[in-house]
Amino acid sequence: MIYLDNGATSFRKPPEVYRAVNRAMQTCGNPGRGGYQVAMTAGNVVYRCREEVSALFDCDPEQVVFTSNCTHALNIAIRSLFRPGDRVVISGFEHNAVTRTLHLLGVETVVVGRKLFSWEDTLSSLEKELRRGVAGGVFTHMSNVFGYILPIEQMAALCRQYGVPFIVDAAQSAGCLPVQLKSWGASYIAMPGHKGLLGPQGTGILLCNEVPRPLMAGGTGSESRQQTMPEFLPERAEAGTLNVPGISGLAAGLRCIRARGTEEILCREQEAAGRCAGLLKRLGFRVFSGPHQGGTVSFVPNMDCEEMADRLGAEGIAVRAGLHCAPLAHESAGTLETGTVRVSFGHDANPRQIMALERAFSRIKC
Amino acid sequence: MKNEWLITFRSITFAQKAQWVLKRRNIACTLQRTPKTLTERGCGYCLRLSGRDAVSALTVLGQEKLKYEKLYAIGEDGDVEERAL
Repeated sequence: MIYLDNGATSFRKPPEVYRAVNRAMQTCGNPGRGGYQVAMTAGNVVYRCREEVSALFDCDPEQVVFTSNCTHALNIAIRSLFRPGDRVVISGFEHNAVTRTLHLLGVETVVVGRKLFSWEDTLSSLEKELRRGVAGGVFTHMSNVFGYILPIEQMAALCRQYGVPFIVDAAQSAGCLPVQLKSWGASYIAMPGHKGLLGPQGTGILLCNEVPRPLMAGGTGSESRQQTMPEFLPERAEAGTLNVPGISGLAAGLRCIRARGTEEILCREQEAAGRCAGLLKRLGFRVFSGPHQGGTVSFVPNMDCEEMADRLGAEGIAVRAGLHCAPLAHESAGTLETGTVRVSFGHDANPRQIMALERAFSRIKC
Repeated sequence: MKNEWLITFRSITFAQKAQWVLKRRNIACTLQRTPKTLTERGCGYCLRLSGRDAVSALTVLGQEKLKYEKLYAIGEDGDVEERAL
């Protein structure tokens, strides 16, 4: 199988990740609960992962909250920062993890930057709304549908200039682009452990510049007599038992990324996406590509997008079709009715994948 | 005099951070559960270290802006007494 759905999850992890998960299953108890060896080993595994995260993302270890996925992290962040009725600015390319959560909370959303691959449009429309006044913002760093890399540093600077708190959804950028909690001044940054960070599913990270409201209450292994959740991070947002085998695997994934460097990974993914876009254009499809694009490219085929994905699947190519849990992004790009087929490259992107894609298309005879 | 000290923290994460900071400064310490009688709020972790290292340890924690809760000295008979430095 040629796996090209890294936007959903990274499928082939480095072998160190599998080993780390297995090792943790066999050596780790519940961290922060007991004082015996396997509990302390687990505590050590978790803390070392916090250190890996802090080294990569410009934060302190205690600012790292482990969650079950990016959606969980975004829910904590959004429910901490906003209240019903707040006016919140979002980009035109947000995922349902953001839009549904805001909708459920009952905020008024204002969408800015709906032109794909246009930093000028994103920044000018954002500044207009910041001047009008908003309670805060939530911005994806990279569109999961189109790979559009938003000008997040400039957006962060604008928000700081206008004193507007904001959240960054780094679901698609963590592991291939610089993500920096302190220098961006974001209130929160959310990311999954299982995509670009190469960890297992069931892991996510919330970086916190503020102390969040607890989304869940429960045991934390600390200050047990208090009936309120601890006031301090990370325990305030980590009720219950952590996914220690997952966190162990995540730490291994992070070490691999730090060893390789995010620039090398991005370069590889972008090269593959560029070649893929070229191939798709030669085949006559409507392809979405432009400047400021990561390792993901979407296209509208000459048949139903799900049928194309099925046919590619039958040829051993794994891609995702439809709306990708991001109807807002499709609305912005004008593909809400057709959907798209999304090809998303990962850390293992290589020319053989493009060759395999080309062979598959020739067999499909489209 | 047993000459061991306990530095208590509100959470395991703070205790772990302190432990790693001290280890990097070659100050030996052991992370352990805080004795129940010392936890007013219930449940916590502490660092156990030699009395001769207590001052330097607290100096390092102060430099790194790492807050601890309380400091205790452990007597020869195992009695624990809160101290301030």
